[in-house]
Amino acid sequence: MERFTRARSWRPGPSLVSLVVGGASAVLVFYPIVYLVQASLSVGDPQARPPEAYGLANYAGLGRYAHIFWNTVLVAVIATVFAIILGFAMGWILSRANVPGREALEQLMALPYYVTPLMGALAWSLIGSPSGGFLNQVWRALGGDGHLIDITSPYGIAWVMALFEGSVAFVMIGAVMKSMDPALEEASQVLGAGRFRTMLKITLPLVMPGVLGATIFVFAEMLGSFSAALVLGLPNRFYVVTTAMYQLVSQYPPRFPQAAAMGVALFAVMFVMVYIYRRIISRGTYVTITGKAFRPRAMDVGRLRWILFGVCLGYLGIAVVLPVLTLLYASVQRLATAFPRAANFTLANYVTALSLDAVRSALWNSLLLGGATAVLGVVLMGFLSWIIYRSRLPGAGFIEYVLMFPQAVPRLVFAFGMLWAWLVFPIPIYGTLWLLLIAYLTVFMPLGIRTISGVMLQIDRTLEESAQMCGASWGYRLRTVTMPLLRPGLIAAALLLFIASVRELGASILLMGPKAKVITPAIVEAWFSTSTELTAAMALLQTLAVALALAFLFAVARRALRPVGE
Amino acid sequence: MTVSASPPTGRAAPIEVRDLVVRYGTVTAVRGVSFSVAAGEHLTLLGPSGCGKTTTLRAIAGLEKPTAGEIRIDGAVMYDAASRTQVPPERRGLSMVFQSYAIWPHMTVFDNVAYGLRVRRETASDIAQRVGWALDLVQMGELAGRSASKLSGGQQQRVALARAFVFSPSVLLFDEPLSNLDAKLRAEMRVELKELQRQLGITSVYVTHDLEEALAISDRIIVMRDGIIEQVGTPAQIYDLPRNAFVADFVGSANLIRGRRRPELDHGGFVVIETPGGALIHGVAHGRSAGSEAVFSARTVHLQLSRERPAAAHNVWPARVRSRVFQGDFTQYHLDWDGRRLVLRCVTSEPVAEGTDCFLSVDPRHCVLLEE
Repeated sequence: MERFTRARSWRPGPSLVSLVVGGASAVLVFYPIVYLVQASLSVGDPQARPPEAYGLANYAGLGRYAHIFWNTVLVAVIATVFAIILGFAMGWILSRANVPGREALEQLMALPYYVTPLMGALAWSLIGSPSGGFLNQVWRALGGDGHLIDITSPYGIAWVMALFEGSVAFVMIGAVMKSMDPALEEASQVLGAGRFRTMLKITLPLVMPGVLGATIFVFAEMLGSFSAALVLGLPNRFYVVTTAMYQLVSQYPPRFPQAAAMGVALFAVMFVMVYIYRRIISRGTYVTITGKAFRPRAMDVGRLRWILFGVCLGYLGIAVVLPVLTLLYASVQRLATAFPRAANFTLANYVTALSLDAVRSALWNSLLLGGATAVLGVVLMGFLSWIIYRSRLPGAGFIEYVLMFPQAVPRLVFAFGMLWAWLVFPIPIYGTLWLLLIAYLTVFMPLGIRTISGVMLQIDRTLEESAQMCGASWGYRLRTVTMPLLRPGLIAAALLLFIASVRELGASILLMGPKAKVITPAIVEAWFSTSTELTAAMALLQTLAVALALAFLFAVARRALRPVGE
Repeated sequence: MTVSASPPTGRAAPIEVRDLVVRYGTVTAVRGVSFSVAAGEHLTLLGPSGCGKTTTLRAIAGLEKPTAGEIRIDGAVMYDAASRTQVPPERRGLSMVFQSYAIWPHMTVFDNVAYGLRVRRETASDIAQRVGWALDLVQMGELAGRSASKLSGGQQQRVALARAFVFSPSVLLFDEPLSNLDAKLRAEMRVELKELQRQLGITSVYVTHDLEEALAISDRIIVMRDGIIEQVGTPAQIYDLPRNAFVADFVGSANLIRGRRRPELDHGGFVVIETPGGALIHGVAHGRSAGSEAVFSARTVHLQLSRERPAAAHNVWPARVRSRVFQGDFTQYHLDWDGRRLVLRCVTSEPVAEGTDCFLSVDPRHCVLLEE
């Protein structure tokens, strides 16, 4: 039997390519962070680049902003507590109780996430601002005094953030509950413990580490959140760290060094949080030891199930239906008011929004950027996932650590670093869509890698090894085995990247140039400088555009996902 | 080692492994293993999990990077610690059947099997012909067009086999290929696999922890433990003449009997030991030497139980049946003998009741002196 040999020219091996791509991505992440730190140490002329003198004065000066840090922690704590309660309740109901329509509800629980904090904030401002909020109008019409709710208070801001983040908490806590072997609970019941005792002694202790992990993760996200605090807090001069940074940068003259110091401080706190979170997760909570997903048998909770069903619907109603309907209602009025009058209805806002060149170009730019981010992101992040989880290259673990970095940096803070970093970059990309593309690819790296690697880790390594044993070279394997098997993960990642990019605010608002606007910051600008009704129309148009684009992508993806053979 | 592993002269052995060491961090999985496989030979690496057999196989395949030693295939260096050579798996000209089968679910049966041929840029007609031939050999010819995700475990196993041999690799590697099948199917596949091996005449290295499998399909077996080779031999040699207590115990079930050497009683080619309870045991040494203490291995199936005293001159003792376990094909007896417990298995015939006093005997040729 003749041995198989084939003359081959030199081709870059996997290790070299991996090293280059991994290294370049690491630079993408670290380059802005270095500049952020540099800016925070600048004590000379605040406008000078590179800094004239270095010192710690900006950090020492942070004491002046103590009330802002306090605001941040206050809002974050309230929002976290509320989001975790929501997530835990939904997680328990949908994984443990026999509520009707459980499967469908589970899918729907992702919706609040897609409403985004910005849409939520716009809608809730219409509902609950102390003077003109619809709810407060009704309250006064019913003879009430002053206002019923104040959405611009810390509690109000936290409420809007929590409605959105509850969806994230649900996904995390629900996953923990699902990964618990129901036999553990059954064993307790067989040994004679009642349902309540089982819950207290078995279920709770088992899911506790997972819940704790989710809490820390959510808290870190809340510390760095931006949109809700911007829309609801700014008019009131209620600042959290991110909005204060934005204010310091966008005022005249801008105070970059102070903003940078604030950003580094926030980054440090969030980094510690994310580090703790990862420690908790990697230590392997008792529950996830087997790594199997169980389909837990739901408890029969009798009539209570209708109440629990109502709780789920209530959450969806308040977090999704109410905000969307409110925006819709406001967008078709000349002057947004709680009480409908025939003369007040109009489609003029939509006509205006669509006829404004600025809006049209911003929307088009956003869709273009979203598409580019999705396509390039999937290629880049797919390859990075492969390096991290499959290549077994030395340093793969380090690359993973670096690339997950943006998770610990609020996008606004990250964008601030980029602002400085790319201003001095020899190729003039500042103020163009290219800079935004780079920013999106960097800040969404953790999102894309997590989505793709989730699928990649489910692919048995021997599927690739057997291709290797058949004599397939690295590139051939990647093309014929790895990529096709990854397709569902890649498509999911592309959709997520597209949605995330089109609705991105924190980074875009700082990096967008006057001649290359994108839609989300344009909506915020409209909110502060034009009419509420027009803004509502713009926000809905954005949502509609995303939905249409997604429907199109889905149609394409479905064809791509059609199984082979038969 | 009881059998030397020398390849036929004049031609390099398909596989030569010398002083192979594989280390993962601080764990040493394989610590200095040497053997070679002759052309057309079916060699099996046998051992409990964690003994280094799979690691050794994957090192031959190129899927693991060894720490030290040398691996040659058909005389060409594939791995050499000294010259830092490590040829990637795809250029070693081998093939492998994986424990998980590793059938690609996004391809049809045909595409799975054709893969290695397409990599080699064979013509379409050649591919169709060879894939048809391979699928017919594993009795899967009719399912060529089926999606691989719709196959049963046994069918996947057959496709994995066809995919591995269709491009005529120099050596076929098997990593516990039958361990995911249920017991009945496993026994069937064992026979089929052996027939296929003989038909193709292909050299193979097979890894398993299943003794019966190893005995059934191998020309030669290497028993491994803790990363080293414990014994090399034909299936009969391994079974009849285990080298030490580990092999005796792992390869089938054996009673290990320890005692003081009584060289003055040796006669007629038999060596004798005396147990702490005073029983004299005659056994065979097969050239092995023993100190003042020695251990015999006696297979549970070689012990005999009888109500009347047998006529044999040696190795007959009284014993009492302590418990009896009926296991279908055989019955297992636990005997009180010489102040200890012995296990005996015999074909179920006339059962001896628990508590019965009876006689235990064993042919001295079946008491094998072990190395310590």
